[in-house]
Amino acid sequence: MDNVDDYKYALDESSIVAITDQKGTIIYVNDNFCKISKYSAEELIGQDHRIINSGYHSKDFIRELWRTIANGKVWKGELKNKAKDGSIYWVDTTIVPFLNADNKPYKYVAIRSDITNRKISEEELIKILQEITDYKYALDESAIVAITNQKGIITHVNENFCKISKYDSEELIGQDHRIINSGYHSKDFIKSIWTTIANGKVWKGELKNKAKDGTYYWVDTTIVPFLNQYNKPYQYVAIRSDITERKEGEELIRLNNAKVIEQAQKLTFKNTQLVDFCNIVSHNLRAPLINIAMLVDYVEQSEDEEERLMVLLKIKPVVNHLMEVFNELVESIQIKQDTEIKSDKIVLKDCIEKILIGFKTQIVEYEANIKIKVSKAPIVYFPHKYMESILTNLISNSFKYKSPLRKPEILIETKNTQDGKVQMTISDNGLGIDLVRHKDNIFKIRKTFHKHPDAKGFGLFMTKTQVEAMNGKIWAESQPDKGCTFFIEFKSTEYEPS
Amino acid sequence: MNRVKNFTLVDDDDVFVFLTTKAIEKTNLVDLIKVFGNGLEAIEFLWENKDNMSALPEIILLDLSMPIMDGWQFLEEFTKLNPKIGKKITIVICSSSISPDDVMRAKSISEVSDYVIKPVTKDKLIDLINGL
Repeated sequence: MDNVDDYKYALDESSIVAITDQKGTIIYVNDNFCKISKYSAEELIGQDHRIINSGYHSKDFIRELWRTIANGKVWKGELKNKAKDGSIYWVDTTIVPFLNADNKPYKYVAIRSDITNRKISEEELIKILQEITDYKYALDESAIVAITNQKGIITHVNENFCKISKYDSEELIGQDHRIINSGYHSKDFIKSIWTTIANGKVWKGELKNKAKDGTYYWVDTTIVPFLNQYNKPYQYVAIRSDITERKEGEELIRLNNAKVIEQAQKLTFKNTQLVDFCNIVSHNLRAPLINIAMLVDYVEQSEDEEERLMVLLKIKPVVNHLMEVFNELVESIQIKQDTEIKSDKIVLKDCIEKILIGFKTQIVEYEANIKIKVSKAPIVYFPHKYMESILTNLISNSFKYKSPLRKPEILIETKNTQDGKVQMTISDNGLGIDLVRHKDNIFKIRKTFHKHPDAKGFGLFMTKTQVEAMNGKIWAESQPDKGCTFFIEFKSTEYEPS
Repeated sequence: MNRVKNFTLVDDDDVFVFLTTKAIEKTNLVDLIKVFGNGLEAIEFLWENKDNMSALPEIILLDLSMPIMDGWQFLEEFTKLNPKIGKKITIVICSSSISPDDVMRAKSISEVSDYVIKPVTKDKLIDLINGL
């Protein structure tokens, strides 16, 4: 008996113990039972065991418990009970039925241990898991999600990812993430993404990707690295949202803006030309007209017949001059209006050599040295008659303004520019132009810079008009008494100018 | 009536110079008429004679559109030279240009006293001389 008492003592110390009769009426509770249920033994004994029922378990569960023990079998399980103050506690429970001679239970001994803390933790864990599941659901519903391992191999994609990329998940999983690379972003940009996430930092940005059918889509992207215990990423979760429409809108706006700016530049240019033209009319046509008017007035007022005759003689050259200027202006307007003119394929070497034939006398007379280096860009698309006029003008300028101290040297060179145009340079070692003094004026009509009898100031104006009519550019560099270099940039397309 | 010792024309237009010289002579108010064919010739003369008061003109009739050095470039150079000259030189622009841009630009240069649109009549010349 000593032995049994020892066991009972050990059990009472370690466990929560209650004994009920076969109907479930409590006939014994130990101290631990009172402590956890917060009832006194007096309050419990004689009560139905249901006094501590929490109502948590289903009727089926309770019925099954009773069925087991009423059949004389031991029941083991976890129960949620309610203490006197309404608080809840969990107990790991073993109910042992004690049987009479007829093998019917006449009492039940319930041995319990407190597992409340464990159950609360478990419940919280389940709650968190549920929340995570909810989050994942929400994320999968709303966003484009992909997970890759640390090497960038896709390990998971959600439905949205498949929808936008037009791949099946089977086609994606196991593939390198580069499968959707559009090639739009620079290597440096992609490298910066990898550097960020490989260092365990979140990357956010906008990416252009390519779907299976070759179409492109834009995604606002957040890549979150998941770190292992060594703080090294073991996988990357990429969460994206489709911003294709917005980006396409932006692109459209950007293109439209660029177009508007281009148009504005064209208009500004046209306006400058128009102002130039107005000034030409104002300066160059009005001057000879005034001369004629003044001369006529003078003739009218003069009483000296000899003087009248002398002044009358002066009218003729002015009229001729007016006519000349007028014709030049008409010619320049024709160039500006001649937007229909087509570009010809010009083999520069042949074209230049043909023009040089016209200068043969001067070349021989002045012992001129003319070099042609057009192998880098041997062909240009430009109207033939303009090209001949431009080259003739510039070469004749080089001869007209040669230095008296040197034999003329003229170098004609071409090259392709980085933006796909052809640049021609014509340089000489002649008198040069003081560009500090004349820079705004060198291409204007009737501007001359040398006291040369043939200087009419029309050639460069016409040359510029011809170059610009074909959307080209012309400019000059020069140092007085060193020489002069003219640069012409040809747009050189086979198409008509706009 | 004011009298002018030295009336200078800076203009490359031979016909205009011929007729204007005639008109100046007819005013009987001018002792000497000097003519320069462009801005450079004129400014070089002024530099050389900046200390020679009697050689310097009282008034310059300046054309704008000229070869080698036009009227604007002459004015730039003259603005640099003017403080070194101990004599007041009145500059009147005389141009065939009716462009408002040119008129505005001329007004913005303090060395310019007036802007006359060609042709210049004898009466206008008398006005200019009396305004000195």
